[in-house]
Formats: sequence, structure tokens, C-alpha cells
Amino acid sequence: MSRMPAGQYIPGRSPVHRLDARIKICGFLILLAAVIGAGSWAGYLWVILALAAILRISGLPLRPVLEPFLRLWTFFLVIFLMNALFFDGQGGIWSWWIFHLSAEGVRRGFSVVVHVALALVLGNLLTCTTAPMELMEALKVFLRPLKLIRVPVDDVAMILSVAVQFVPTLLEEADTVKKAQIARGARFESKKLTEKAASFIPLVVPVFIAAFRRADELALAMEARGYRGKRKSPKRKSACLQAPDITALAVCAAVFAVQFLLIHI
Amino acid sequence: MTKMSYVKRSMITAVCIALCVVLPMAFHSIQNAGSIFSPMHIPVLLCGLICGWPFGLLCGIAGPVLSSLLTSMPAMAYLPPMAVELAVYGLAAGIMMQAVHTKKIYADLYLSLIAAMLAGRLVAGAAKALIFAPGSYSMAAWAGSYFVTCWPAIVIQLALIPTICFALEKARLIPARYRN
Repeated sequence: MSRMPAGQYIPGRSPVHRLDARIKICGFLILLAAVIGAGSWAGYLWVILALAAILRISGLPLRPVLEPFLRLWTFFLVIFLMNALFFDGQGGIWSWWIFHLSAEGVRRGFSVVVHVALALVLGNLLTCTTAPMELMEALKVFLRPLKLIRVPVDDVAMILSVAVQFVPTLLEEADTVKKAQIARGARFESKKLTEKAASFIPLVVPVFIAAFRRADELALAMEARGYRGKRKSPKRKSACLQAPDITALAVCAAVFAVQFLLIHI
Repeated sequence: MTKMSYVKRSMITAVCIALCVVLPMAFHSIQNAGSIFSPMHIPVLLCGLICGWPFGLLCGIAGPVLSSLLTSMPAMAYLPPMAVELAVYGLAAGIMMQAVHTKKIYADLYLSLIAAMLAGRLVAGAAKALIFAPGSYSMAAWAGSYFVTCWPAIVIQLALIPTICFALEKARLIPARYRN
């Protein structure tokens, strides 16, 4: 539990790591559209090649990026089999009792699995190459239009950045409480679902108390230093985009454009 | 519970959002814990009950988004319906807690909690049927996924959330709703 699972930021100096987080989020959305649009062998191959190229340039190890796919392989297998065996379409290959294996079902199952798996890998590429605080700053920029409907964007960004900083602290806290409960006889490793669930209840209450105590201390410290919230923060100039950022965005747009052509040819 | 400063409510919201990331990781060792125990619902409901609807709404939207970004749980494909469900939980819990005053803390908490849990499930089901899976979502699938599969979550939430509220009140981390 003390180790962050797949998707955790992996520090690095690669060109992908050095890109502006705003550009990475825009690029992620463009590539996600390309993934969702893929519907043919050429389309899948094109997106896989693009993701493999990004992975190679980012210099990330393969395992953390592919981890969600490996972790969810049973889920993918079930989705594939459900589509392949129960799809009521043309081109039946084999039939027995309620099962009906069809070519169209196999194609649909494969399509669903590939779409979800590629979206997962793409999301992981974003989070593995971008520090959480950089993501928060980028999010703040994208939230700026909400100021028009009087959403306190600065306060929302402050809450989100405090939340991100609290995650490792609370993980540590949960780990400490877990070890204390194990020492008192809690059976987290039990194979019985009810025993496992019951052992997690004494874990949750102390974690909440500890978390709220930290929130109380932080709020007190902030108020003692004169922070009252709901005030306009001084305008900070966002960093200018550099040539590599523009190039990266253009490359993502090109990947999407090729995918668009593949769909319509 | 309405006498807290804006800063304190902001910080409580921040820890509740962080708990939306931490609790699913703590429950992760149990097979299918996400769908059975719904650990992310607890901090969102609590945030709405304690801090009010704007903070509950923020926690409901930001919690799953942040968890998905940091830990890939929930997967991006499940994120939009989940964010809608949790946002309604936080919003409804806050509104109900503001509206209901029975002079009994137990009654206030349970009325708000049950109303929020029902509202979140109804809106999430409607959103799935109309937006996220139009045409392929049935009443049976809704009842199955929101009431049958996750019955342990409903029991845990109904038992835990008032207990946590009392524990926080006793530890003087949140102000008492009614003076004895």
C-alpha cells in the first residue's frame, strides 16, 4: 500500500518529460480521439506505432506503462469472450447451447479490448511523464474560463494542489494504522471476504481522524498567516510555449489527421 | 457543522479528495473491492455532510479524476459516469444537511445520507441510460450494479459515515451541530 501503483510519475529528462504540461494534456486528448476513432487494422496499427514511438522517446521502462493492462487482463478476457460468444450477429462460426461464436462478435470484442487498453496506456504515459504539481498548474489554466460563472478557480486549484500533496502523507498514515491493526489481530490477508471487509473498518475510522487532524492543523497555520481564501490571487504569467511544445502538438495533430484519413478512405 | 471557516472547509475538502485516492488503494488487496465496497463514496459523502454542497460537489468531481490520473483507478472509460454519481452524492448530501434540521443529529445524518445515496444512484443511472450507454442500459442492470452488487458498500457507508462524524465531533475536529 505504501507504493503508488501504475501511473505514478517517473522522473526523467526525456523530451516528453520536458514538454509543457498544458501541451501534454492537449496532446493526450487529441491522441485519445485518434484511439477512439481507430476501427480498422491499419488504424489500430497506426495508433500502436504512435504510442510505441512516444514510449521510446520518453525512455520509460515498459512495465509501469503497461501495468494497468497486465493487471486487468482477466477483465479484458471476460469482455472479449462476452462479445465473441454472445454477440447476435452474422457470420456464425460455432454454436452450442447459449453460446454463439461469430466473426462479428470476435471483431467487436477485439475492438473494445484494444480501445480500452490503448486508452489506459495513453493515460499512463501522461501521468508517468508529468509531475502531479505540473498537472495541477495546467489544470488551473484550463479551469480559468470557469471564472466567468464565478467559480473560485484559484481556490479550487489550491485545494487540488493541497490534495495532491496530502496523498503520500495519508498513504503513510494508512500504512501505519494498518500495521497497528495487524499487531492487534486484524486479518487483512484472510481469504474470507467478510473477514477482510471487517478488518478494513477499524482501518478507515483512524485514517479519517488522522486526516482531519492534519487538515485542522494546516487550516490553523494558514489562518494564522493571514490566509482567508475567496480573494483574488496576484496574476501570474503562464510560461510561454517553446518550439518543442508546438512541434509535439503538431505531431499529435498529424497522428489524428492520418487516423481521420484512414477512417474515411 | 456550519460554523467552520472557509479555509478549514477548503482543507477538509483537500484531505477528502486525497482520501479518494488513498482509500481505494487500501481496499485494492480485496478482489473486486472497488465495485463491492465503493471506498471512494465515503470521503465524498462525508465532505458534503460536513463542509456543505459546493465543497461536496468539488470533492465528488475532483476525487475520481485525481484518482484516475494518479493511480488509473477508475479507468478513464468508467470515469465520467462515476464522476457524475459522486458529484451528486456530494451535492445532495450538502443540500440535505443544510435543509434538514430535526434537532437530532442521528436523524439529520441518516436522512441526508440516504437521500444523497438514492439521488446519486438515480442520476448516475439516468446519465448512463441517456448519455454514456444509450439504448444498451436496462433497469435490471441499474438495480444490479447500484443495489445488489454493492450491498456491502451500502451497509458499510450507513454504518461508518455517522460513526466517523461522531468521532470527529468528539475529537473536536468539527463543531457540534446541536448544543446539548
